[in-house]
Amino acid sequence: MHELSIAQEIYRTSRAAVAAHGPGHLERVKVAVGELTAIEPDLLTFAWEALTGGGPDAGSVLDVEWHPARQFCAACNADKPRAQGTWLRLCPDCGQTLQVTGGQELDVLQVAFLPDGAGGETEGGNGRDG
Amino acid sequence: MAQVAKRKGGTVAMAEVVDVRARVLAANEEAAARLRKTFSESGALVLNLISSPGSGKTTLLEATVRALGGRLRLAGIEGDIATERDADRLRALGIPAVQILTGGACHLDARQVRKVVDEAHFPGFDILFIENVGNLICPTSYDLGEDFKVALLSVTEGDDKPFKYPAIFARAEVTVVTKVDLLPYVSFDLAAVREQLAALNPTGKVVLTSARTGEGIPGWCTLLEQRLAVKRKAMA
Repeated sequence: MHELSIAQEIYRTSRAAVAAHGPGHLERVKVAVGELTAIEPDLLTFAWEALTGGGPDAGSVLDVEWHPARQFCAACNADKPRAQGTWLRLCPDCGQTLQVTGGQELDVLQVAFLPDGAGGETEGGNGRDG
Repeated sequence: MAQVAKRKGGTVAMAEVVDVRARVLAANEEAAARLRKTFSESGALVLNLISSPGSGKTTLLEATVRALGGRLRLAGIEGDIATERDADRLRALGIPAVQILTGGACHLDARQVRKVVDEAHFPGFDILFIENVGNLICPTSYDLGEDFKVALLSVTEGDDKPFKYPAIFARAEVTVVTKVDLLPYVSFDLAAVREQLAALNPTGKVVLTSARTGEGIPGWCTLLEQRLAVKRKAMA
Protein backbone atom coordinates (compact mmCIF):
# COMPACT_ATOMS: atom_id res chain seq x y z
CA MET A 1 0.00 0.00 0.00
CA HIS A 2 2.52 2.63 -0.95
CA GLU A 3 -0.41 4.51 -2.49
CA LEU A 4 -1.25 5.68 1.04
CA SER A 5 2.16 7.23 1.57
CA ILE A 6 1.99 8.76 -1.91
CA ALA A 7 -1.46 10.19 -1.03
CA GLN A 8 0.04 11.64 2.16
CA GLU A 9 2.75 13.41 0.16
CA ILE A 10 0.14 14.78 -2.27
CA TYR A 11 -1.93 15.98 0.67
CA ARG A 12 1.07 17.69 2.29
CA THR A 13 1.95 19.47 -0.97
CA SER A 14 -1.67 20.48 -1.58
CA ARG A 15 -2.10 21.81 1.95
CA ALA A 16 1.08 23.84 1.62
CA ALA A 17 -0.23 25.32 -1.64
CA VAL A 18 -3.47 26.36 0.09
CA ALA A 19 -1.67 27.69 3.15
CA ALA A 20 0.42 29.95 0.93
CA HIS A 21 -2.81 31.75 0.04
CA GLY A 22 -4.42 31.75 3.49
CA PRO A 23 -6.87 29.43 5.21
CA GLY A 24 -9.15 27.33 3.04
CA HIS A 25 -10.52 23.91 2.21
CA LEU A 26 -9.38 21.66 -0.61
CA GLU A 27 -11.87 21.14 -3.40
CA ARG A 28 -9.93 19.29 -6.08
CA VAL A 29 -6.32 18.23 -6.55
CA LYS A 30 -5.05 17.27 -9.96
CA VAL A 31 -2.08 14.90 -10.20
CA ALA A 32 -0.17 13.33 -13.08
CA VAL A 33 0.59 9.63 -12.65
CA GLY A 34 2.76 7.72 -15.10
CA GLU A 35 2.29 4.04 -15.83
CA LEU A 36 5.91 3.26 -14.92
CA THR A 37 5.59 4.63 -11.38
CA ALA A 38 3.68 1.46 -10.39
CA ILE A 39 1.01 3.61 -8.74
CA GLU A 40 -2.52 2.33 -9.22
CA PRO A 41 -4.90 5.30 -9.82
CA ASP A 42 -7.90 3.61 -8.18
CA LEU A 43 -5.92 2.72 -5.06
CA LEU A 44 -4.56 6.26 -4.97
CA THR A 45 -8.06 7.78 -4.99
CA PHE A 46 -9.23 5.28 -2.34
CA ALA A 47 -6.23 6.26 -0.23
CA TRP A 48 -7.06 9.93 -0.74
CA GLU A 49 -10.64 9.37 0.43
CA ALA A 50 -9.45 7.45 3.47
CA LEU A 51 -6.87 10.10 4.28
CA THR A 52 -9.11 13.16 3.93
CA GLY A 53 -12.32 11.56 5.22
CA GLY A 54 -13.56 13.03 8.50
CA GLY A 55 -11.11 15.94 8.28
CA PRO A 56 -11.40 19.51 7.05
CA ASP A 57 -10.84 18.42 3.46
CA ALA A 58 -13.38 15.57 3.41
CA GLY A 59 -15.15 15.33 0.08
CA SER A 60 -12.25 16.82 -1.87
CA VAL A 61 -11.57 15.11 -5.17
CA LEU A 62 -8.27 13.66 -6.34
CA ASP A 63 -8.23 13.94 -10.10
CA VAL A 64 -5.67 11.56 -11.67
CA GLU A 65 -4.30 12.40 -15.11
CA TRP A 66 -2.91 9.09 -16.42
CA HIS A 67 0.24 9.04 -18.54
CA PRO A 68 0.83 5.78 -20.39
CA ALA A 69 4.40 4.55 -20.80
CA ARG A 70 6.10 5.52 -24.04
CA GLN A 71 9.21 3.91 -25.44
CA PHE A 72 11.32 5.05 -28.34
CA CYS A 73 13.70 2.99 -30.47
CA ALA A 74 16.61 5.10 -31.71
CA ALA A 75 17.60 2.44 -34.27
CA CYS A 76 14.12 2.35 -35.86
CA ASN A 77 13.59 6.08 -35.11
CA ALA A 78 10.05 5.33 -33.94
CA ASP A 79 7.90 5.02 -30.82
CA LYS A 80 7.31 1.36 -30.13
CA PRO A 81 3.97 -0.04 -28.94
CA ARG A 82 4.01 -1.54 -25.52
CA ALA A 83 1.75 -4.37 -24.45
CA GLN A 84 -0.23 -3.72 -21.26
CA GLY A 85 1.70 -4.72 -18.18
CA THR A 86 5.06 -5.40 -19.77
CA TRP A 87 8.21 -3.44 -19.11
CA LEU A 88 10.28 -4.80 -21.95
CA ARG A 89 13.19 -2.57 -22.83
CA LEU A 90 14.09 -4.32 -26.07
CA CYS A 91 12.65 -3.26 -29.42
CA PRO A 92 10.26 -5.97 -30.68
CA ASP A 93 11.46 -5.25 -34.26
CA CYS A 94 15.23 -4.81 -34.07
CA GLY A 95 16.16 -5.91 -30.53
CA GLN A 96 17.92 -2.66 -29.59
CA THR A 97 17.44 -1.12 -26.14
CA LEU A 98 14.38 1.13 -25.94
CA GLN A 99 14.50 4.58 -24.43
CA VAL A 100 11.73 5.48 -21.96
CA THR A 101 10.15 8.78 -23.05
CA GLY A 102 6.99 8.85 -20.95
CA GLY A 103 5.21 7.20 -18.06
CA GLN A 104 7.47 8.22 -15.17
CA GLU A 105 5.40 11.25 -14.12
CA LEU A 106 4.32 11.64 -10.51
CA ASP A 107 3.45 15.28 -9.99
CA VAL A 108 0.93 17.49 -8.25
CA LEU A 109 -0.31 19.72 -11.08
CA GLN A 110 -3.04 21.92 -9.70
CA VAL A 111 -4.90 22.58 -6.46
CA ALA A 112 -8.41 24.08 -6.27
CA PHE A 113 -9.59 25.27 -2.88
CA LEU A 114 -12.30 27.34 -1.25
CA PRO A 115 -10.78 30.13 0.80
CA ASP A 116 -12.34 30.49 4.24
CA GLY A 117 -14.64 33.47 4.22
CA ALA A 118 -15.48 33.09 0.53
CA GLY A 119 -19.17 33.16 -0.35
CA GLY A 120 -21.09 30.22 1.00
CA GLU A 121 -19.52 30.26 4.45
CA THR A 122 -22.50 32.19 5.75
CA GLU A 123 -24.81 29.20 5.61
CA GLY A 124 -22.39 27.30 7.87
CA GLY A 125 -23.93 23.98 6.99
CA ASN A 126 -20.97 22.14 5.56
CA GLY A 127 -19.72 20.91 8.92
CA ARG A 128 -16.11 21.53 7.98
CA ASP A 129 -15.32 24.38 10.28
CA GLY A 130 -15.90 22.41 13.47
CA MET B 1 -4.51 32.13 -9.95
CA ALA B 2 -7.88 31.39 -11.52
CA GLN B 3 -11.23 31.55 -9.84
CA VAL B 4 -14.05 29.12 -10.48
CA ALA B 5 -17.61 29.82 -9.37
CA LYS B 6 -19.06 26.98 -7.35
CA ARG B 7 -22.61 26.71 -6.14
CA LYS B 8 -22.83 25.65 -2.53
CA GLY B 9 -26.29 25.57 -1.04
CA GLY B 10 -27.99 28.81 -1.98
CA THR B 11 -24.86 30.91 -2.41
CA VAL B 12 -22.00 30.96 -4.84
CA ALA B 13 -18.49 30.34 -3.48
CA MET B 14 -15.35 31.11 -5.45
CA ALA B 15 -12.84 28.27 -5.66
CA GLU B 16 -9.27 29.40 -6.15
CA VAL B 17 -7.11 27.35 -8.49
CA VAL B 18 -3.33 27.34 -8.18
CA ASP B 19 -0.84 25.61 -10.43
CA VAL B 20 1.60 23.66 -8.30
CA ARG B 21 3.76 21.52 -10.61
CA ALA B 22 5.60 19.77 -7.81
CA ARG B 23 7.07 16.29 -7.79
CA VAL B 24 5.03 14.17 -5.40
CA LEU B 25 8.14 12.55 -3.99
CA ALA B 26 10.12 15.80 -3.84
CA ALA B 27 10.68 15.55 -0.07
CA ASN B 28 12.01 11.99 -0.42
CA GLU B 29 14.13 12.97 -3.40
CA GLU B 30 15.67 15.91 -1.53
CA ALA B 31 16.52 13.67 1.41
CA ALA B 32 17.99 11.10 -0.98
CA ALA B 33 20.09 13.75 -2.72
CA ARG B 34 21.49 14.89 0.64
CA LEU B 35 22.29 11.30 1.58
CA ARG B 36 23.98 10.71 -1.77
CA LYS B 37 26.14 13.80 -1.19
CA THR B 38 27.08 12.64 2.33
CA PHE B 39 27.97 9.17 1.04
CA SER B 40 30.00 10.62 -1.83
CA GLU B 41 31.98 12.89 0.46
CA SER B 42 32.88 9.97 2.70
CA GLY B 43 33.65 7.74 -0.27
CA ALA B 44 31.25 5.04 0.89
CA LEU B 45 29.49 2.66 -1.45
CA VAL B 46 25.79 2.27 -0.61
CA LEU B 47 23.47 -0.51 -1.74
CA ASN B 48 19.69 -0.71 -1.46
CA LEU B 49 18.70 -4.39 -1.25
CA ILE B 50 15.16 -5.20 -2.33
CA SER B 51 13.40 -8.56 -2.53
CA SER B 52 10.42 -10.48 -1.30
CA PRO B 53 10.50 -11.68 2.33
CA GLY B 54 12.55 -14.80 2.84
CA SER B 55 14.65 -14.59 -0.30
CA GLY B 56 17.79 -14.31 1.78
CA LYS B 57 18.81 -10.65 2.03
CA THR B 58 20.12 -10.90 5.58
CA THR B 59 21.72 -14.28 4.91
CA LEU B 60 23.52 -12.85 1.86
CA LEU B 61 24.72 -9.96 4.03
CA GLU B 62 25.98 -12.37 6.70
CA ALA B 63 27.96 -14.27 4.08
CA THR B 64 29.25 -10.96 2.69
CA VAL B 65 30.36 -9.79 6.14
CA ARG B 66 32.15 -13.09 6.74
CA ALA B 67 33.96 -12.77 3.42
CA LEU B 68 34.75 -9.05 3.39
CA GLY B 69 34.57 -8.00 7.03
CA GLY B 70 38.29 -8.42 7.60
CA ARG B 71 39.23 -6.22 4.64
CA LEU B 72 36.50 -3.56 4.53
CA ARG B 73 34.53 -1.59 7.07
CA LEU B 74 30.90 -2.62 6.58
CA ALA B 75 27.67 -1.31 8.11
CA GLY B 76 24.00 -2.15 7.82
CA ILE B 77 20.64 -0.43 8.05
CA GLU B 78 17.82 -2.94 8.36
CA GLY B 79 14.23 -2.09 7.48
CA ASP B 80 11.44 -4.21 8.92
CA ILE B 81 7.91 -3.81 10.13
CA ALA B 82 8.76 -5.44 13.45
CA THR B 83 11.64 -6.92 15.48
CA GLU B 84 15.35 -6.14 15.75
CA ARG B 85 16.26 -9.60 14.51
CA ASP B 86 18.05 -8.58 11.33
CA ALA B 87 20.17 -5.88 12.95
CA ASP B 88 21.00 -8.33 15.73
CA ARG B 89 22.21 -10.86 13.16
CA LEU B 90 24.62 -8.34 11.65
CA ARG B 91 25.80 -7.03 15.03
CA ALA B 92 26.52 -10.60 16.04
CA LEU B 93 29.11 -10.61 13.24
CA GLY B 94 30.71 -7.49 14.67
CA ILE B 95 29.53 -4.81 12.26
CA PRO B 96 27.52 -1.70 13.24
CA ALA B 97 23.86 -2.11 12.30
CA VAL B 98 20.75 -0.05 12.97
CA GLN B 99 17.21 -1.34 12.74
CA ILE B 100 14.49 0.91 11.32
CA LEU B 101 11.05 -0.27 12.38
CA THR B 102 8.52 1.04 9.92
CA GLY B 103 5.52 0.13 12.05
CA GLY B 104 3.56 -1.23 9.14
CA ALA B 105 4.93 0.79 6.22
CA CYS B 106 5.97 -1.42 3.33
CA HIS B 107 9.16 0.43 2.35
CA LEU B 108 11.97 2.59 3.69
CA ASP B 109 11.86 6.34 3.04
CA ALA B 110 14.99 8.45 2.54
CA ARG B 111 14.03 10.62 5.51
CA GLN B 112 14.10 7.58 7.80
CA VAL B 113 17.52 6.62 6.48
CA ARG B 114 18.81 10.17 6.86
CA LYS B 115 17.69 10.28 10.48
CA VAL B 116 19.59 7.06 11.17
CA VAL B 117 22.70 8.24 9.33
CA ASP B 118 22.61 11.58 11.20
CA GLU B 119 22.09 9.99 14.59
CA ALA B 120 23.81 6.63 14.37
CA HIS B 121 27.34 7.98 14.63
CA PHE B 122 28.48 5.09 12.48
CA PRO B 123 32.21 4.89 12.47
CA GLY B 124 33.48 5.52 8.95
CA PHE B 125 32.50 2.69 6.65
CA ASP B 126 33.43 1.53 3.17
CA ILE B 127 30.16 -0.16 2.24
CA LEU B 128 26.72 0.46 3.73
CA PHE B 129 24.03 -2.12 3.05
CA ILE B 130 20.49 -0.80 3.32
CA GLU B 131 18.22 -3.80 3.56
CA ASN B 132 14.74 -2.68 2.61
CA VAL B 133 11.47 -4.08 3.92
CA GLY B 134 10.77 -7.44 2.24
CA ASN B 135 8.57 -6.37 -0.66
CA LEU B 136 9.09 -6.41 -4.43
CA ILE B 137 6.80 -3.47 -5.15
CA CYS B 138 6.75 -0.42 -2.89
CA PRO B 139 10.47 0.04 -2.11
CA THR B 140 11.11 0.41 -5.83
CA SER B 141 9.64 3.94 -5.88
CA TYR B 142 11.79 5.37 -3.06
CA ASP B 143 15.32 6.54 -3.76
CA LEU B 144 17.43 6.17 -0.60
CA GLY B 145 20.56 7.88 -1.89
CA GLU B 146 22.10 4.54 -2.82
CA ASP B 147 24.69 3.97 -5.55
CA PHE B 148 22.57 1.17 -6.92
CA LYS B 149 19.68 -1.12 -6.16
CA VAL B 150 20.17 -4.85 -5.79
CA ALA B 151 17.22 -7.18 -6.37
CA LEU B 152 17.31 -10.69 -4.91
CA LEU B 153 15.36 -13.60 -6.31
CA SER B 154 15.56 -16.97 -4.58
CA VAL B 155 15.09 -20.05 -6.71
CA THR B 156 12.23 -21.22 -4.48
CA GLU B 157 10.16 -18.17 -5.46
CA GLY B 158 9.69 -19.33 -9.04
CA ASP B 159 11.15 -18.34 -12.37
CA ASP B 160 8.32 -16.04 -13.46
CA LYS B 161 9.01 -13.23 -10.99
CA PRO B 162 10.95 -10.74 -13.15
CA PHE B 163 8.05 -10.34 -15.58
CA LYS B 164 5.52 -10.34 -12.75
CA TYR B 165 7.33 -7.61 -10.77
CA PRO B 166 9.01 -5.75 -13.60
CA ALA B 167 9.65 -2.40 -11.90
CA ILE B 168 12.26 -3.64 -9.46
CA PHE B 169 13.99 -5.98 -11.89
CA ALA B 170 14.10 -3.21 -14.51
CA ARG B 171 15.69 -0.75 -12.05
CA ALA B 172 18.08 -2.96 -10.11
CA GLU B 173 21.60 -2.71 -11.45
CA VAL B 174 22.35 -6.15 -10.05
CA THR B 175 20.03 -9.12 -9.60
CA VAL B 176 21.28 -11.79 -7.22
CA VAL B 177 19.70 -15.21 -7.73
CA THR B 178 19.97 -16.79 -4.27
CA LYS B 179 19.76 -20.34 -2.87
CA VAL B 180 21.18 -21.81 -6.08
CA ASP B 181 22.22 -24.91 -4.09
CA LEU B 182 18.50 -25.80 -4.27
CA LEU B 183 18.35 -25.72 -8.08
CA PRO B 184 18.42 -29.55 -8.40
CA TYR B 185 15.32 -29.78 -6.19
CA VAL B 186 13.04 -27.06 -7.60
CA SER B 187 11.55 -26.25 -11.00
CA PHE B 188 13.40 -23.07 -11.71
CA ASP B 189 14.39 -22.29 -15.28
CA LEU B 190 17.50 -20.17 -14.92
CA ALA B 191 17.77 -19.53 -18.65
CA ALA B 192 14.19 -18.18 -18.67
CA VAL B 193 15.04 -15.84 -15.79
CA ARG B 194 18.12 -14.59 -17.61
CA GLU B 195 16.01 -13.92 -20.70
CA GLN B 196 13.42 -11.98 -18.71
CA LEU B 197 16.10 -9.93 -16.98
CA ALA B 198 17.83 -9.16 -20.28
CA ALA B 199 14.53 -7.94 -21.77
CA LEU B 200 13.69 -5.77 -18.75
CA ASN B 201 17.13 -4.50 -17.99
CA PRO B 202 19.60 -4.93 -20.86
CA THR B 203 22.53 -3.46 -18.89
CA GLY B 204 21.82 -5.25 -15.60
CA LYS B 205 24.16 -7.82 -14.05
CA VAL B 206 23.07 -11.23 -12.79
CA VAL B 207 24.94 -12.97 -9.97
CA LEU B 208 24.21 -16.49 -8.73
CA THR B 209 24.84 -17.25 -5.08
CA SER B 210 24.31 -19.76 -2.33
CA ALA B 211 25.09 -18.33 1.07
CA ARG B 212 24.83 -21.87 2.41
CA THR B 213 27.53 -23.46 0.25
CA GLY B 214 29.44 -20.26 -0.46
CA GLU B 215 28.98 -20.62 -4.21
CA GLY B 216 29.10 -17.26 -5.97
CA ILE B 217 29.93 -15.29 -2.80
CA PRO B 218 33.51 -14.48 -3.94
CA GLY B 219 32.19 -13.15 -7.26
CA TRP B 220 29.57 -11.05 -5.49
CA CYS B 221 32.24 -9.65 -3.16
CA THR B 222 34.54 -8.88 -6.09
CA LEU B 223 31.70 -6.94 -7.73
CA LEU B 224 31.29 -4.89 -4.55
CA GLU B 225 35.01 -4.21 -4.27
CA GLN B 226 35.19 -3.18 -7.92
CA ARG B 227 32.25 -0.81 -7.53
CA LEU B 228 33.83 0.69 -4.41
CA ALA B 229 37.11 1.18 -6.28
CA VAL B 230 35.31 2.87 -9.18
CA LYS B 231 33.55 5.24 -6.79
CA ARG B 232 36.78 6.09 -4.95
CA LYS B 233 38.58 6.65 -8.22
CA ALA B 234 35.85 8.99 -9.44
CA MET B 235 36.30 11.01 -6.22
CA ALA B 236 40.04 11.31 -6.52
